[in-house]
Amino acid sequence: MNRLFMAVVLMCACAGANATAIKTYEARLEVAADGSALVTVNLKLTGSQPGMVPLPVGFGTLDDFQLQDAPRGVQLNPVPSKDQSIVEIDLPQAVAADVKLSFTFRAPDVLAQPKNTAGEKSGLPAGSRLLRHGFVNTQAATIAAYRVEVRLPEEVRVQMIREQLPKPKRTEVLPRVRLDRIDGNQGALLQVANLKQGDKTSMVLEVVEDGRSYVWLLVGLLLSAAYLVGFRDLVTPAAR
Amino acid sequence: MSSIPAAESHSQNQKLLELLGMDRMTLSSKTRAAQSPTESWMRYLGFPGGILLFLLILYLPPGAGLSASAQAGAACFALALVWWVTEPFPTYVTSLVLMFVLLVTRTSDSKAIMYVLGMEVIWLNLLAFILSSMLVKVRLAKRMALWLILKFGRKASWALLAFVILQMVLAPLIPATAARAVMTLPLMIVVAAIYGATEETNNNFGRNLFLLNLCGISVLSSMTMTGSSANLIAVGLIETMGGKRVYYLDWVTVGAPIAIVTMLMMWALGQKLLFRISKKDQLPQLEGGLGLVKQQYAELGPLRREEKKSIAIFALVLFLWMTDVFHLRWFGVEISAPFAALLGAVIVLFPRYGILQWAEADIPWHLLIFSAGAYAGGLALDDTGAAEWGVRMLFGGMDLKGVPFGISYTVVIAVMMYSHLLTTSKTVRTLIMLPIIITLAKALGWEPISFALPAALCIDWVVGLPISGKPNVILFSTNQYSVADNFKYGMLTCTIGVVLLVASGATWFHWIGLTPAFWAIAP
Repeated sequence: MNRLFMAVVLMCACAGANATAIKTYEARLEVAADGSALVTVNLKLTGSQPGMVPLPVGFGTLDDFQLQDAPRGVQLNPVPSKDQSIVEIDLPQAVAADVKLSFTFRAPDVLAQPKNTAGEKSGLPAGSRLLRHGFVNTQAATIAAYRVEVRLPEEVRVQMIREQLPKPKRTEVLPRVRLDRIDGNQGALLQVANLKQGDKTSMVLEVVEDGRSYVWLLVGLLLSAAYLVGFRDLVTPAAR
Repeated sequence: MSSIPAAESHSQNQKLLELLGMDRMTLSSKTRAAQSPTESWMRYLGFPGGILLFLLILYLPPGAGLSASAQAGAACFALALVWWVTEPFPTYVTSLVLMFVLLVTRTSDSKAIMYVLGMEVIWLNLLAFILSSMLVKVRLAKRMALWLILKFGRKASWALLAFVILQMVLAPLIPATAARAVMTLPLMIVVAAIYGATEETNNNFGRNLFLLNLCGISVLSSMTMTGSSANLIAVGLIETMGGKRVYYLDWVTVGAPIAIVTMLMMWALGQKLLFRISKKDQLPQLEGGLGLVKQQYAELGPLRREEKKSIAIFALVLFLWMTDVFHLRWFGVEISAPFAALLGAVIVLFPRYGILQWAEADIPWHLLIFSAGAYAGGLALDDTGAAEWGVRMLFGGMDLKGVPFGISYTVVIAVMMYSHLLTTSKTVRTLIMLPIIITLAKALGWEPISFALPAALCIDWVVGLPISGKPNVILFSTNQYSVADNFKYGMLTCTIGVVLLVASGATWFHWIGLTPAFWAIAP
């Protein structure tokens, strides 16, 4: 009988821990010129139950971790890891069903030149850097809406979006990654809905210095002039 | 013909007769000569004009929603578009330039650019030309063309109408537009020759004939929801996102009248307004007129064994094209249009039992290069997000909240219709536009189907440029009309379509319950 009672209690505890759902998960990356980023994460939890939620953050290093906003009694503990660190969210007994959380940390080398192994040819032209962001939902609750907003530093722009996963479904109107102006600079928005446990999302942006080389202007004008001289017989009366 | 000196007229007649014999029917890669001083000036100024537009787009302050590669892609495509229209070079040279510029501006990588030559559409073109060469070699094309002229071609107008009816009959049977173009191309060339239109001497009958067929092939695909795979995608989107099922008859009820009326209007307007066919050009230009056509037809005699063999091969390919929806059930694999043509080509080229030697197949490689360049440019616009950004900016820049239904509806139809100039793929355009239109309808408070179904009817109207669709590329290879002619004819067709769709939206679409009242304001 005692064993049965214990089993029921355990099942209830597990059900309770699983019931905490993540309604929105928003991360904003303010990328600095040196490639590091100040990351601000805003979370909305629903159906919160006492217990621990191991929240993946999509970054390896979490420097200067700071809790910005959380209800009384909620504790956050960063657990660094090489590829994807987690933040343990400890929800107390008297936690409300709806919880809003906010924390910040600094992630180095978010925007960087990829390191090539000895003898490997670089796939990027000089001056290009890559901004990589990958996220795997390692915890049990489904993330209803996951959104990452990247604000690039001044004087740079996105050359191309090299990766945006998962591919949008037919019912999705917008592309997975959308470029936009964010507080005066160019930025990117990654959005995914219903990230279940084990689901992945990622984006890779190639970023270059803003501004075009004047070589195009020079070559274009020279070619135009050369054509107008070399092919002027097209419109001379004799040709007609 | 009366104004042409006798010797010249005789030589012209000789050429037409040779062409009628089809021995010299090659899809030449010769540069089309400028037809007027205006065209010469267009060519002269088109080159720097294209470069100026390229530089302007490239150096414009970047839009925040646009990547550098998307901006460069738009600049490259604009450059090529100006050169394709004004023709300072042959179109295939422009395509080669475009492919190079796409690489050096870092719009696309070399793999993506080179890949286009292996695309289904390029293969279909290549294989279809082998089948077309077969019809030419065995003179079946000549027989069919002469029959068509004898039955309907006493006047140029009736010959043109015969082609509209032919395309109308073929459209529901063969969903692949390129296949329809290839099937009817040999007929068009011979009929054009009978009325004096060759690639060396273009005339208004030729322009009307080829452009009417070009529009007929595409526009008449919108008669049925199975007219193209993009139509079916639209039906799926309307169902999943709009929550309304569109049945076959629903589509035919609204799509067929619009498409048929447009084509009949273009048949009349093309020859009366755009490219006027004079009274004397209404008659066959061959010396001896219809008598000679009759004589030539009689000389062909009864069907020969080779002709019967060609009919059998073509019937097999046609059968596979028409029954593609059943392939999975029958064979466990879908034999797509290029593979059906491939099977036909294998039989045609088979040693001893086939009909053609490889050297006899007239494959216009310049056309395939032109298509490859055009597709590389179009795909770059799609892949970099430039096309999607353009559409979003267009809709996003308009505040349609609180505006009467009819105004929003007109904007949606016009944007959908003319947006085919931005992309070379109906499927991509459908996947970009339809979800935006459905979302827009919901946001404005209208039933999604009231915008989405009429907009879906515009999917197949890809008639503005020689690169806008597969049939356009195939028909452009005949050198019977210029890019500017195509643009003029295509834009008039699209404008008639928009006017008809808007008028229908205000009247009978409302009466059958598809659209709300034209001046209704959303609750």
